Amino acid sequence: MKRRDFLKAGLAGSALGSIGLLSWTPRAFATTIDRTFYITDGFKTMVTGENVYFRGFSEAGNALNVPGESIVAQQGDTLRITIVNTLSTTHSFVIDGVVDSGPIAGGQTRTIQFTADTHGSYLYYDKLNAPYNRLLGLHGGLAVMPQGSSNELYPGSPTFVQQYFWIFNDIDPAWHEAVRNGQTPNTAYVPRYFTLNGLGGRPPGAPGAHDPNIDSLTDPRSALHGQIGDRTLVRMFNVGLADQSVHAHGNHMEWLTENGQVRPDIWKKDCLYLEGDMGSIDSIYPFEVPPDSWPPTSTSTYPMHLHTEMSQTAGGGYYMFGAMTDIYFE
Amino acid sequence: MGMRNRGGGMGGGGMGGGGGGMGGACYVYPDAPATPGIVTPDVVFDRGIYMNGSMTMDDGRSVRIWGFTDGSGGGMGGGGMGGAPFPSPAIRVTAGQIVHTRLNVQGMMWNHTIHHHGIEPADSSDGVGHITWDVDGTYTYQWRPMHPGTYFYHCHTNTVLHAEMGMYGALIVDPPEGPGTLLSGGPTYDVEAFWVVDEIDSSWHNLPWDAGTCGQDVGLNELNPDYFIITGVDGSGTSAMNLPPISANMQVGQKLLGRYICAGYHPQRINFGGLPGTLYVSDGRPLPNPVPVTEIRAISGERYDVIFEPTQPGEYIISTDIIHWITGEVLGTAKTNVVVTA
Ligand SMILES: [Cu+2]
Ligand SMILES: [Cu+2]
Repeated sequence: MKRRDFLKAGLAGSALGSIGLLSWTPRAFATTIDRTFYITDGFKTMVTGENVYFRGFSEAGNALNVPGESIVAQQGDTLRITIVNTLSTTHSFVIDGVVDSGPIAGGQTRTIQFTADTHGSYLYYDKLNAPYNRLLGLHGGLAVMPQGSSNELYPGSPTFVQQYFWIFNDIDPAWHEAVRNGQTPNTAYVPRYFTLNGLGGRPPGAPGAHDPNIDSLTDPRSALHGQIGDRTLVRMFNVGLADQSVHAHGNHMEWLTENGQVRPDIWKKDCLYLEGDMGSIDSIYPFEVPPDSWPPTSTSTYPMHLHTEMSQTAGGGYYMFGAMTDIYFE
Repeated sequence: MGMRNRGGGMGGGGMGGGGGGMGGACYVYPDAPATPGIVTPDVVFDRGIYMNGSMTMDDGRSVRIWGFTDGSGGGMGGGGMGGAPFPSPAIRVTAGQIVHTRLNVQGMMWNHTIHHHGIEPADSSDGVGHITWDVDGTYTYQWRPMHPGTYFYHCHTNTVLHAEMGMYGALIVDPPEGPGTLLSGGPTYDVEAFWVVDEIDSSWHNLPWDAGTCGQDVGLNELNPDYFIITGVDGSGTSAMNLPPISANMQVGQKLLGRYICAGYHPQRINFGGLPGTLYVSDGRPLPNPVPVTEIRAISGERYDVIFEPTQPGEYIISTDIIHWITGEVLGTAKTNVVVTA
């Protein structure tokens, strides 16, 4: 058995857990952002006890990060990304419309450099053997802020004070196992686990509940925290294959973009149609006083969950152990 | 093993299924405290529970349905005084009213909640078990709707199963002008139709209320529907045709408001059969600019309020395809009609 075959899920999120929401201060001048990702693999133990094989863009050769750590850059910045492929299989690092590393053979290291020309939300991922390498966990988020702006998605957009990534995935262990064995999956895709930023929910009383490395309800990368007025940008990606309904309680979400395009009008929605297979949405959760509360509340807690409710399960049951998080009005 | 688990103890979790077994429920949070900040309401809705309802499909099969009764129910959780209506009886209110929804769960064997979907009250009135409680007894949800439009209410306990079993009903917020006006200062209508489109996987409909909660694999990750329904009626044939208020009868010169609720879990595409419509409101919020529509794609929980002003007499078929969330395959279609006379 390879050394990393039994990385625990706890390790997977450990480095990210301390980062929390993505803070950003604009700079007058462009800079160079250096990042090294190690392509690693291993098993994660699901709540059912099932061990499922994943691959990730990880922070270290002995880590397994699914998704990879997100990056916030500013328009005009140079990104210098070093990919260390610790596996024996060939992988790539692609941002559609921006950069493509080309195949990086097993054991190889490659550094790619590109300029973040256009503001917006991006997914970096392994485009080889699509969609399998991406589904297995080789993906992460990149935010490019408009030049000189700390509070807009695009120049003139509605403003925000903090931002998050929500990367949704669905997992069919049979497909992961086939890819691990070097095969192309040939079974019908039936996802059994559903994750937000790599984790499922652990409701109160469950093992791992309130552990930000295990529980998507409290994972600081996912759970929204704000006071009234703390408008929060959420950059959503669906790297899985199932269409999803992103449903927030407490406030309607301002729907700014869909699949990279700015919407002609900003609609306020409590359910957003997030397409499977690389759909994306940018949306602002406004942290307004919940409008229908009486007496009006400014301190409440609500869920964000997928309303495509099959995605709220794990292993065919375990309601609330799927892709969801909590929203804290503080 | 006790019947219920208030956030602890019998979690199961990583132990591989946690047992569960007969009658064991995990990760439900039974309680029914006093409502924080309760005041005298302008309007009250009483809702009980039934879990022994049924719906007869066009092929003659009967499928078990759960839902909410009107009135506090007859005790023991069964049918009760209100019968077993499906969908559950509508809640219709006026913007600005203080509303009480009083949920009475007297089954002694199960829990449920009411979540007023799209309504944004305090968490104590939001009906989400893991944040507050799953109702065990009588609980009063207090809310004051501020935005006219179409909503729905549904159970939020083991939601994946309970909403599929039919535990939902329409929730309409009228502006102060009352029915006939969609938005204050906005469009009016003469006729109203309710298109609550849902799919049923009958293989889920014999499960117990707590199915899967302790980790048993009961297949709730996979919804393979065999029935396609509109507002509680089999929509695959003609059963929902000429059946107001699912269908509509109207005259040229009148305005129809179609209130469309995507109540299933798979994506849908509703087509208005050649009737040009104008979309004014979605998810209970007015659009900055109304949008002309001939069909709408929707995902679970979305609502769309569409005004139609037909200029040509005729029969128009309102058909909604239910589309597999992964494959994109059309799984089935639910249909009703709009009959326009000169
Ligand atoms: Cu229920
Ligand atoms: Cu809902």
